[in-house]
Amino acid sequence: MTQGLIKAEQIYQNRDRRAKELKTAGRKIIGYLCSFTPVEIITAADLVPYRITGSMKESITLADAYLETIACPFTRSCLDIALKGGYDFLDGYVVPHACDNIVKLYEIWTYNIKHTYAHFVNVPHTLSPASFEFFETELGTFKRSLERFSGREVTAEALSRSIQLHNEQRALVRKLYELRKQDPPLLSGTEMTKVIVAVMSTPVTEANELLKAAIEEVPARRDGLQRKPARLMIYGTGNEDTTFIELVEESGANVVIDDLCFGTRPYWFEVEVSDNPLAGIARSYLEKLRCPRTYRESPGSHQADLENRFGHLYQFAKDFKVNGVILYITRYCDTHAFDAPDVKEYLGRKGLPVLEIEGDYPLGGIAGVKTRIQAFLETVS
Amino acid sequence: MEAPKEQSAAERVKELMLKAILEGPKKTTAEKSTETAKGVRRMVKGLAQKAHEARARGDPIAYLFIASFYDDILRAMDIATVGTENYAGLCAAKLDAERFLSKAEAEGYPRHLCTYATCGLGFDAMRCELGGMPTDAPDGGMELPSVMLGTGMMICDPRYKWYQAAQRYTNAPMHILGLLNPPLYYTHIDLKEVKDYYIKYVVEELKGLVDFLERQLGRKMDWDRLSEVVNLSERTIKLWYDTYQLRKAVPAPMPTEDALNTMVPGYFNMGTQEAYDFYQELYNEIKYRVDNKIGVIPDEKYRLMWALSLPPWYGLVLFNYFESLGAVFPIEVVYHPPVPLEIPASITNPLERMAWRFYDGMTHWYEKAQKNSRNPFVEWFMELIEDYKIDGVVFHQARTCRTIHCGQLHQMNVLKRHSDIPMLMLEGDIIDVRNYDEEATHDKIDTFIEVVDTYKKKKQS
Repeated sequence: MTQGLIKAEQIYQNRDRRAKELKTAGRKIIGYLCSFTPVEIITAADLVPYRITGSMKESITLADAYLETIACPFTRSCLDIALKGGYDFLDGYVVPHACDNIVKLYEIWTYNIKHTYAHFVNVPHTLSPASFEFFETELGTFKRSLERFSGREVTAEALSRSIQLHNEQRALVRKLYELRKQDPPLLSGTEMTKVIVAVMSTPVTEANELLKAAIEEVPARRDGLQRKPARLMIYGTGNEDTTFIELVEESGANVVIDDLCFGTRPYWFEVEVSDNPLAGIARSYLEKLRCPRTYRESPGSHQADLENRFGHLYQFAKDFKVNGVILYITRYCDTHAFDAPDVKEYLGRKGLPVLEIEGDYPLGGIAGVKTRIQAFLETVS
Repeated sequence: MEAPKEQSAAERVKELMLKAILEGPKKTTAEKSTETAKGVRRMVKGLAQKAHEARARGDPIAYLFIASFYDDILRAMDIATVGTENYAGLCAAKLDAERFLSKAEAEGYPRHLCTYATCGLGFDAMRCELGGMPTDAPDGGMELPSVMLGTGMMICDPRYKWYQAAQRYTNAPMHILGLLNPPLYYTHIDLKEVKDYYIKYVVEELKGLVDFLERQLGRKMDWDRLSEVVNLSERTIKLWYDTYQLRKAVPAPMPTEDALNTMVPGYFNMGTQEAYDFYQELYNEIKYRVDNKIGVIPDEKYRLMWALSLPPWYGLVLFNYFESLGAVFPIEVVYHPPVPLEIPASITNPLERMAWRFYDGMTHWYEKAQKNSRNPFVEWFMELIEDYKIDGVVFHQARTCRTIHCGQLHQMNVLKRHSDIPMLMLEGDIIDVRNYDEEATHDKIDTFIEVVDTYKKKKQS
């Protein structure tokens, strides 16, 4: 393993250590959920964004008294950790309106966990001109609230600098993904997830250095992967835990690309650089961040609609020479579940075999899941 | 002549049971108390009939959601509507939802998705496959829509994902309005900071809807007509609200099972003279019952509140079960009329008036909540508990709804900090009877009534 990957692994295994060190040094840490949180504004306020996750290693023991078991198990796990004090090091908490599950989580979390700062960012679901204008104004409200909390003005220059840093990070992540186009890929799906989680857990400048190190070292690595008949894409909600991807890779496939929240999704776009940074952030997050929670109007026929919504998946498949797709959807993620039949139809018509797995968090029934993956791989190979 | 004997609770149970036996095993709906509520079924059939007639004439039909805040636009443009959640509720009440739910499952929509949605998707899939209405579909079935109108962020995710999925069966153009929920749970936002741009956004989105309908259906909006409709809606909301204020009386003149019917004009037929006249009739009837002390049950012992919970549409008869134990529901949080708010007279643009109605309705309890419980719903609960002299609160957790039914535990936890009122959580679903256990529900209710009895005695002592 390379030094970059070793570092990523270390952060992955102990992901809050750096944030706690920074807190001790006087920095303020802002925990956030979901790819729709505009981290650029947090960084521009000289605060450290830190992506909140659950933990598959810890049973949910407290959250059930606060949040119903019909809620997304990932959000329940996040709350459980918070209730146990696992996020006490956070100074603030930010949630965007991405889906019903995290809206509810915001309400319950802020009532029961006392951070100094909490903010909810309303994110429109549509791409109408009014939605862009609204979102830009709403981001202005967010910026002002961060200014009040941090006691410092967030200037246009600071925002532009932050946008550049985060854009650089997105470009570096994409460059690392490029190394998986080869056959065999130079980086596994499991390794990539660990890098992403490490990046989400560290300040942007440090994370960019980690990415640069990995990009430089990976092509020369001697412990590379084996060529396997199946080159897969994973689509769905995903999470920070590598159990599922490891299971797929152990079963005889190389995972070469994904469309996941802890994968390409927050990195496969760039924020527009303009004289009005908030407008650029609003436009880019709303339009370019691909998630089923954003409604994209059908251009006409059903087929055109599917192309409009899922065309990027087929582009991934072509670019990364994918020959099979696994839909990995966390139970109770309604936005993904409503889309699943359409995704399967679309990819099926493109000639790609598709397996749908509804996963719990923690992932249960691993033996059964593995059997299904193995059977699927026989149809792919 | 001998005066009629007052009926005891035990006799009432016997009567209800006998009625259930005579009606057979498929009794799902509750016995109503008011004549006006009994007339709602005719209105529901009438709405379905209007859609069938529109189809026969080749006129446009819109799929829409309950409480979408844009009904006035459809009324002003004379567009027939199909309330898709309402239709799922009807199927459930007729114990005829399972075939549609199973069809949706077979199509790949998991069983834990919103069952309003999966019932609708299953129906649409079947109609598409058959090239016509499924056999014996309740009320003649849902007509194929010309357009489907959803909302983004307003209430729940299925409000845009459901119709997006349904496009594969309807091939109907859809439009989503970005009706954002104004701040409900912020802890540090001054509403003055956001009000103007939230209202502006709603106005722009409503304009977008009008543009879409004009473009898709080739009809022009008559803005004067829209002003009249908006005005009529505002008067109807006020009348509806005032009518429900009468329900504070003891004994309760109208129970929740009636309100689950009387919400239909307000939520599916707003902006019509028919809806206004309905609430006038309801007002008159309830007033008469209050003046003459006519209660829901002869010996009202306990007054309960149905909290923010969608009901089990296949099992509304459970309200009669509560009544057999002397408990009545004088009020409910769900399907309550919007609070009539003072919109400044200077606001004359009908779309702006609609936006104000939306915004003010959503933020009504916000400031009060910031100073007290920090939860707007709990503030509302506490108001109702006091005003309607409530002895216990009943929640119902519908297992397939993550919007209204996630957060109930939190509401209970917060309410517990401000009140010692007994609370009950029932479990089931809105549409899928397979998620319901009637016997276990009755056991829970029996125990709860004992708790309420103890609470009430303690309160009186």
